[in-house]
Parts: sequence; C-alpha cells; structure tokens
Amino acid sequence: MSRHATVREARPLRPAAGSSALRIDPSLCDGVGICAHLAPDLVSVDSWGYPILRAGVLGSASERRQADAAVAACPRRALRVSS
Amino acid sequence: MSVSLHLVTEPGRVGAADILATPAVLPRHGTESLTGVDVHDLAAHRAEFGLRRSHLGAAAASLLAAIEEVRLTGRGGGHFPTTAKWRSVMTHGAGGTVVANGAEGEPGSAKDAVLLQTRPHLVLDGLVSSMEVVGASDGVVWLHDGAWASARAVSRALAERAAAGAGDPQIRVLLAPDRYLSGEATGIIRTLEGGPTLPRYVEDPARPWSPGSRPVLVNNVETMARVGLLATVGAEEYLPTSLLTVVNATHRVVLEVGPGTTFGDVVARTWTSPDGRPPQAVLLGGYGGSWVSWDDLRAMPVDVAGLRAAGLSLGAGLVGPLPASACGLEESARLLRYLAGQSARQCGPCVFGLAAVSELADDLSAGRLAPSGRRRLGRFMGEIQGRGACRHPDGALRMLASALVVFGDDVRHHRRGRTCDAPTYAIMPLPGED
Repeated sequence: MSRHATVREARPLRPAAGSSALRIDPSLCDGVGICAHLAPDLVSVDSWGYPILRAGVLGSASERRQADAAVAACPRRALRVSS
Repeated sequence: MSVSLHLVTEPGRVGAADILATPAVLPRHGTESLTGVDVHDLAAHRAEFGLRRSHLGAAAASLLAAIEEVRLTGRGGGHFPTTAKWRSVMTHGAGGTVVANGAEGEPGSAKDAVLLQTRPHLVLDGLVSSMEVVGASDGVVWLHDGAWASARAVSRALAERAAAGAGDPQIRVLLAPDRYLSGEATGIIRTLEGGPTLPRYVEDPARPWSPGSRPVLVNNVETMARVGLLATVGAEEYLPTSLLTVVNATHRVVLEVGPGTTFGDVVARTWTSPDGRPPQAVLLGGYGGSWVSWDDLRAMPVDVAGLRAAGLSLGAGLVGPLPASACGLEESARLLRYLAGQSARQCGPCVFGLAAVSELADDLSAGRLAPSGRRRLGRFMGEIQGRGACRHPDGALRMLASALVVFGDDVRHHRRGRTCDAPTYAIMPLPGED
C-alpha cells in the first residue's frame, strides 16, 4: 500500500464569512504555540503557554487568513474553523 | 442513630408517589452497607408504583408531555430540560443507546447508590421507558468499579424482570474506572464508541456522539427513577422532590425532600454538629459546587427553580455542612487538591492550571500567600475558566471562588499570615482518607 493512501476525515464546506469562528479541542492541544504567532489577533497564550482564543466570529479577511494559517500549522490538529 | 423522618412536606400529598420511604444511613466512605432502607423487589415495586405503561410508538408523546409537565431537568448547572436531550437523540434515528448513569463520582454523594440498591426497578422502568421513547435498542446501567452492592442490586433486578417476563430490551451493566470523572457524559459515550473513559471535547452539546456513530442518551439514575415514576403513576401523582446526601463527621444520610422543605429543616434533622453550633456554611451540589453561607441558605427551600434563581445548583445533591469551628479555606484547599489530582490530564488549562491554583490555595490556607501570589491566583482563575474539554476545571474554580467570598473574613485573616487555629479535621470524605 502506498504510504500516501491514508484515510483522511472529509473537511466540512467552508462556512459563510461572518458566521465562522476559530475553535479548539483543548484535549488535543499540547501548547505548541504556533497558532499564537500566526494568528496574533485571534490567539493569545495563558500562563502555561496554552492558547486562549478570542471569542466571537471571524470578521475581516485578515482574521480569516490568520485563522486558516493557524489551523493549517497546528501539529496536533487541535484547531478548526467552524460555523 | 435516630434519623426517622420523611420530609415530603406537601399537605395532603404525603404518601403520593415519592421515591424513598425513609432516609438511608451510610458510612462516610463507600456504599456497600446501607441501613434504614427498605429494598423493593419486583413485587414490592409493582405494589407501590403499579405496572409500567408501555411508551412505544404513539404512546411516546404522552411520556414526553408528562416529563415536560413536571419540568424535569438535568442535574448539571445548566438545568437543561430532560426532553431537550431526548428530542435531539430522537431526530438522529433509532437504534441508539440509553445510559442510566449511576457512576456517582462525587466522593460524598450516595443518593444514586441508595436509589440503585433500594429502588432498582424504578430506575429500570425509567431506562426501559426512555429507550422506548427514543427508539434505542441498547440499554446500559453505568456504574463505577467497586460499586458491588449497586451492581448486585441491578443484576438481581434484571434477573427478576426476565423471570417475570417483563419483556425488557437488552440492558447491560457496565463498570467504569473508579474516578471522579467516570460519570462525565462525554467520557461514557467515548467508552461506548470503543475509546477510553475520558471526557471529550464536543462542539455541539446536542449531539455529543461521534459523526457516523449511533446516538447516545445519558441520564443520571435519579432522572431515570423520575421517568420511571412518570411512566408508572403519571404526572398527576408525581412529586417534585429532591434526593440529597448530607455529610456528617461519622456518617452520611440520603433522604428525599419536597420543595417546601428548607435547608434549615434538612440540616436540623440530619446533621450532628461536632461543636454544638450551627454550621458556618454548606458546600452545595458537589466538590465542584458552591459554598453558601448558612445565613443565606438556612431559610431557602430545597427547590431547583428557586436555587437556580439564586445562581445555585443542587448538582449531585450533596449537602456538606462546614462546622463553625472548622476552617473553610483549609477545607477548600484540601478539596481543590483532590480535584486537581482528578484531572483527566488531557487539557493544559486543567492539568497545569488547576495544579497551580491548588498550590496557591494551599499557601492561602497556610497563611503564607504573598501579595504577588494573590495576584497570580486571580489571573490563573480567569485564564482557566471555560477552557477545558469538560467542565471539571470550571467546577473546581467555582468551589474556590465561592470559598473566597463566603470565607472572606478568613481570607483577610490568613493574608495577614495567620491561620484559623481551627481543629484540623477532614469534613468532606475523600477516597483513601480517614
């Protein structure tokens, strides 16, 4: 079997802009912290280096780009953008 | 021990469909030996409550209506209507699982064990009825490892029902690891899906099962017993009572009270003060519940709606009076240490945050919390709130936050480097102590 033939979870269709939000599964997060660098307007870190997500929906195109970058970079796949 | 009361105080309705006839007395630890109880076998159960009516098909609507009529809610802080969960499961199709959750992770609480051991058929009537209503094919009684007396009682009751040709669907008894969080609903569902018994992050609380998995409904065994009551005697005879566990220095009392009963009544009749004085405060709901000063609580009725209006929850039904001579900060720090140790160790804010807060609470209790520590405590509590996959860290912080308010005078005293000179004794039972 090819090493690329792994099963991947289908990604949901991208929700409409203005109603989507960055979400985290805190049980998957290991506090790596890349998200806080890639999405400084959306993510800060707590006293132990774990991300605190700003509440609310993704408003601007810039926020949207930051969220997508953080989701893509998370090595634990703990982040996602959802409606 | 003279605990002979029945506190259903609704004029003219005593003897209607209440659940426990008398309070049960248990040791501080464990639920293997109950005294003061009458155990209902199937014959006694049917003599008291009658036959369960079937709620298959069109009859499902009548049970849903009855549950809504009596405003049955879950025992979490949210007080969500029981039928909201049911309806969500119903929209996801038949063939799922219903869980009667009796894991009772709260070390002080014993009401679920008393229910399972004395009224197993009421719980099973509720479980079977809820399975009928939501179209489930798999029934589970969820207990924790070591709850042998409860497991025996349920197994015996299931055998009795089979022998009597009750025609129940398949019901399994499952034993979870004996931990504080074993009764957490998402961890139960995760286990049924083949995973570990650990809480799971759920984005949509109305659909806590995995995509592609069959729906799972989890209700506490007390809720199941109430559904069982509604499925037998109906809403007209139903009493909106509460099951409580009152913690004493030497024993615990599980009792059923009506909504007219005040916490003053409950404590006066089930709690023996070790110092001859009324308690200074009561820990209400569970170890992740809230401290309430005795002055505030004494006259309050044991009524879910009234408590909710006051920002309080009955939670697991724990009533833990704190003697006037004890130190609330010391007790809170002790409980927080336990709760931090019971983290499922999955989420950073819980693993590291609760440990850090627990250390600071220990410092406060010992009278050595510096001003910088006070600032850190406030910052940490704000950072942790709402950031676990489950509500465990939130409960621990709720308990501590209420302690800082209710024992505010002690906080000021301890900050000046003094302690309470209170006798050091354990108030709430913890596993492996005493």
